[in-house]
Amino acid sequence: MDEANTAPRGRTLALGALILLGGFAVMVLEIVGARYLQPWFGGAFYVWTSQIGMVMLALALGYGVGGHLADRFKKARFLSLLLAPAGIFILLIPQMAPGVLDGIVDRHEKAAAPKAARAESPTTAITAITETNLLAELPKDFLEGNTNNAANSLPAPPVDDAAPLEIPAVWRKLDPAIGSAVVFLFPCFVLAMISPFMVRLASRQVAHVGTVSGLVYAASTVGSIAGVFISAYVLIDLFTTTQIFQLTGALTLGLGGLCCLIDWQWPEDLQDA
Amino acid sequence: MMLAVALLCAAAAEGAVRHRSQSAHNQIVVEDKGGYRMLRFNGSMETRLLIANPLLGHFEYTDYFQMPLLWNPKAKRVLVMGLGGGSTQRAFQHYYPTVLVDTVELDPAVAKVAKEWFGVKETKTHKIHISDGRGYLRRNKERKYDAIMMDAYSSNTYGSFIPYHLATKEFFQLAAEDLTANGVLAYNVIGTYNEWRADIVGSMYRTMKTVFPHVYHFPAADSRNIVLVGVKAKSGGLTSATLRARVDLLRRAQPKLPAYFGPRLGRIRAHAPLSAAKSPVLTDDHAPISKLLVPAR
Repeated sequence: MDEANTAPRGRTLALGALILLGGFAVMVLEIVGARYLQPWFGGAFYVWTSQIGMVMLALALGYGVGGHLADRFKKARFLSLLLAPAGIFILLIPQMAPGVLDGIVDRHEKAAAPKAARAESPTTAITAITETNLLAELPKDFLEGNTNNAANSLPAPPVDDAAPLEIPAVWRKLDPAIGSAVVFLFPCFVLAMISPFMVRLASRQVAHVGTVSGLVYAASTVGSIAGVFISAYVLIDLFTTTQIFQLTGALTLGLGGLCCLIDWQWPEDLQDA
Repeated sequence: MMLAVALLCAAAAEGAVRHRSQSAHNQIVVEDKGGYRMLRFNGSMETRLLIANPLLGHFEYTDYFQMPLLWNPKAKRVLVMGLGGGSTQRAFQHYYPTVLVDTVELDPAVAKVAKEWFGVKETKTHKIHISDGRGYLRRNKERKYDAIMMDAYSSNTYGSFIPYHLATKEFFQLAAEDLTANGVLAYNVIGTYNEWRADIVGSMYRTMKTVFPHVYHFPAADSRNIVLVGVKAKSGGLTSATLRARVDLLRRAQPKLPAYFGPRLGRIRAHAPLSAAKSPVLTDDHAPISKLLVPAR
């Protein structure tokens, strides 16, 4: 700690970690989030489209608003005021989101009758089945394929009754986007603010803004790349979705804490500009 | 890159490509070759049929989708998830003409191709619903099905894919709600099973077992498809005597029962797949599907 206090290098590392982990968290939310939405909005294409689109929207808003706030407030701990609620929001996704997503899907129902909720632990033992010779009493010719079925005249097919409600095409496309937005827009918006904030905190002279902002973009993107692959290759196999959201929420709260730490450890660096 | 293009051209030149289109979900190719018509999604063959007799030449595994009739010899209404070239729908329309078939297909382009190139028709007894499978079950409050057939699996050179939200305990609970009291769910899974490692067949078996009291399986003779059959009724367990009785009822109720029904039934397995003990139950919260799927060989 004492060592870090005298070396601005420590501050640079802290800012770098903040940027990298912020980029990481956004992409964990994007990738794991797209999978999370599948039970409500289906598998393939529109869920991914929505999720990518909404996360990009969150980034655009976060960059824009974050940059403005950075010029105005200058202190890293201002960011923790936003990261704390974002972290809590992420922690609560597994508890809060299902009800909201149910609402989005079920609003198309004429008469809503909620289906049974999610169930208990996935560790039930298999009951052993003793294999008996099930086929023992079947006629040999039947098993060999010589059916001698009488071809009777067939009754007329019954009339088709009412089909289940079809969701209009436009909502098949837009519902996943609404779902993505409700669950992921806010936390990604806040996480996106980290980058412009860090540009502001790391730039001492206008002459270096190019280098600083370039490094911030690069670090944030490297974090995002790690987020994509670690989510898909490791997290989804090892953890439940609930656990992944809890880890990401805790990480976001940790980033808020890191912001406070930066202000506390290196206060003099925030005086200029 | 050039080599890849050249190889693709060479492969295409062997058969006659009749149709090629790209939808939001699939790259669709219809190809005629050696008297067969084939449907490919993203390179992998989904369906084939004999052009001279469309009731023949299909993949054997689709025949096992008729097995639910053992529990419902006079089935009124069945649901097929996944259209492809309509092998299952064609068989039901021909052999069991009184059964009403609902098909749920995600991709409207697939429905168009099936109608244009594979003789699939929407009739009084067959309706196609463009929807995600789980969304359809969720919205369906009115209809009860005697059987639900799941054929939403696909594969390409990178391996097999199964949409995880159609393979979890929560999905099977939803499906069971839409089945009649004697309803049966048949699920096509691509894989093999052995006792030393977890795999998708073992996981699907265990997951279905959490909802269905009896699960049987039918390994196809000509491919790595395994059709798992989950029976909703506690009283639906088979013994040699009850199976005999069910077969007799079915033969009386369905006079056009195809001659291959018996030999297909002969492949029934009542035991758990060897890998089941090692394979996890899949839930919405944890479905490590990609880890369980078999590598392409």
